Amino acid sequence: MRYALGTVLSLPLSLMLIGLLAAALPMPWQEWLVLQLVAAVLLWMLLVLLVALPAKAKPILVALGVANLAAWLALQATPLYGVGA
Amino acid sequence: MKGERLRRMVDLHAWVGMVSGLALFVAFFAGAINVFHHELHHWQEAHYGEPASVPMGMDGLLEQVTGQYPDARKRLYLLPDAEDPGVMWFESSEGDWVTAHATDFNAEGVREDVPRSALADFINELHFALGIPNPGWPINIGMTFMGLISVMYGVALFSGLLIHWPKIRKEFFALKHEGNMRRYWKNLHNVIGIISFPFHLIMSVTGAAMGMFTVVAVLLGALVFGPQLRGVITEETEVWPAVDSQGDTVTMPLMEDVLSAARNELPDLTVDWLEIRGYGDAAGWIDVAGSVPGYLGHHAHVVLDPTLGPLRVIAPEQRSFNFASLSPVYSLHFGDYGGLLVKLLYFALGLLGSLLFVSGNILWCERRSDRTGPGRSSAFLLRLTLGVCAGVVIGIAFSFLASKLLPHTPLAGLVAVAERGVFAVILVLLVAWSLRASPLRFSSQMLRMAPFCYLAIPLLQTVLEGSHAWLEADNRLVNLLLLAVAACLWVVRRQFRKRIRQAEPHPLWVGKVSGDNPKHLTETEREAGTVASDSAS
Repeated sequence: MRYALGTVLSLPLSLMLIGLLAAALPMPWQEWLVLQLVAAVLLWMLLVLLVALPAKAKPILVALGVANLAAWLALQATPLYGVGA
Repeated sequence: MKGERLRRMVDLHAWVGMVSGLALFVAFFAGAINVFHHELHHWQEAHYGEPASVPMGMDGLLEQVTGQYPDARKRLYLLPDAEDPGVMWFESSEGDWVTAHATDFNAEGVREDVPRSALADFINELHFALGIPNPGWPINIGMTFMGLISVMYGVALFSGLLIHWPKIRKEFFALKHEGNMRRYWKNLHNVIGIISFPFHLIMSVTGAAMGMFTVVAVLLGALVFGPQLRGVITEETEVWPAVDSQGDTVTMPLMEDVLSAARNELPDLTVDWLEIRGYGDAAGWIDVAGSVPGYLGHHAHVVLDPTLGPLRVIAPEQRSFNFASLSPVYSLHFGDYGGLLVKLLYFALGLLGSLLFVSGNILWCERRSDRTGPGRSSAFLLRLTLGVCAGVVIGIAFSFLASKLLPHTPLAGLVAVAERGVFAVILVLLVAWSLRASPLRFSSQMLRMAPFCYLAIPLLQTVLEGSHAWLEADNRLVNLLLLAVAACLWVVRRQFRKRIRQAEPHPLWVGKVSGDNPKHLTETEREAGTVASDSAS
């Protein structure tokens, strides 16, 4: 259950973290979309791995949920959403 | 890593490994054969001796297809072949892609229903989607499922690396025929995992990226970039925009001239296929797609207008960063960047990978039984693992046999259906059998039978098609690979028998998981028990 939930929660977080990276880097996000995809998949795997480290499941799953919310809020402060090519 | 944390990492490794193990076995065994997908396409063609008439060339085929099927004029793929070129297009009346070959047309130019094997496509579908059909939904369920499995597989790899890193050197030389059966499986699993770790990392990341593409793109659009992402993906990955027809017609150039114009733009280009959009339309274009040897990301495109004027060249050192990143994702996954040697390496690592997943599942079952005592779930999972693995290996062999045999019988028209059907029937039968039989006896019987199944395929082709089975290069290569699979299965059988002779199998293997044969102790637990009994006495 812990790993299944970790897998589900890690996917949006990895994508949003990559989005934040795209917002931070001084190059157009459209130009490195494929690399973002590969990096997001790798990050997703590593985040699931992270779920196994703490002794208790609840804190890490809550932390993942909070991190998702924080990443989403941080993304709202970037000009990424809705900015076309 | 602390003991408790290590244990959780082992749990994670076991969980993701167990969830993904069986699907990965199918993907790797089919994938090892699928490395030679193009060769298999040639191998599957039935040979009835020399053809009575010379089939039409590429231009004649295009003329016939675009004349009879208006949908083909919008978008078609031409597969150049000196002997029998092919054309693929999306037929809206059938709601599916249709393939026609030059040999499908008779002297009057009428397309006949020539029965053709679809073995290579079936093996490919088994590899990337477990053979789960796609009923035309926006998302390919089988492919997405395999993408998720690839993510699990990546997690299993990273957790396995963390678990074994401290003792990696010691374990590298630990495949000894001493100790119990479980120790042997564990050592085998670790050695294969260590040797082929880079290969598996490549497979998991590229497999996940390709399989999860739709899901990731949808979520990336919803959470990060907004609805415009779809347009950006199209713009960044398509070779040329869709045709904006003005209604002006044009006489299409000869395909030999198209190929010559493409080579003029890119002299090292090896052509794989041509995509023609807007056949006969002045606004249409032709994409000559292929490879430039000597590069990891070797994919190349030369886009031409109908007057053979170059519109765009996408090649190593002449492409956007997205194309430069996408090309290695494909080539690293398919192993088509380094010639025959790299393909053979991928084939061998694919077969070894299959062994990695079987051994992982067996370890999990035994470990669970050791930890929790006798239980139906461990016994069931062990039997299911053995049944699925035997079913896939023997089922694929029978698909090959059906592919060669049926075209020479009155049932030739059923060949494509039979290839899939015989696989499904054998898989179901062997899984059902494995759930009832003793695992040890079942494994022995399957390992005795499997090498002969693969040995029978080249023999059958030789009987039916004579020297063509060995004189034609692609046939020879596929037949040698099938013999190699037979030899590998023979080696596994020999090692398996050797282990049975040398060490007592785990009770799970002999169906002794019952109250009379309770908890099977691990070596560590046995040693601990010995120490405890010694101190008590």
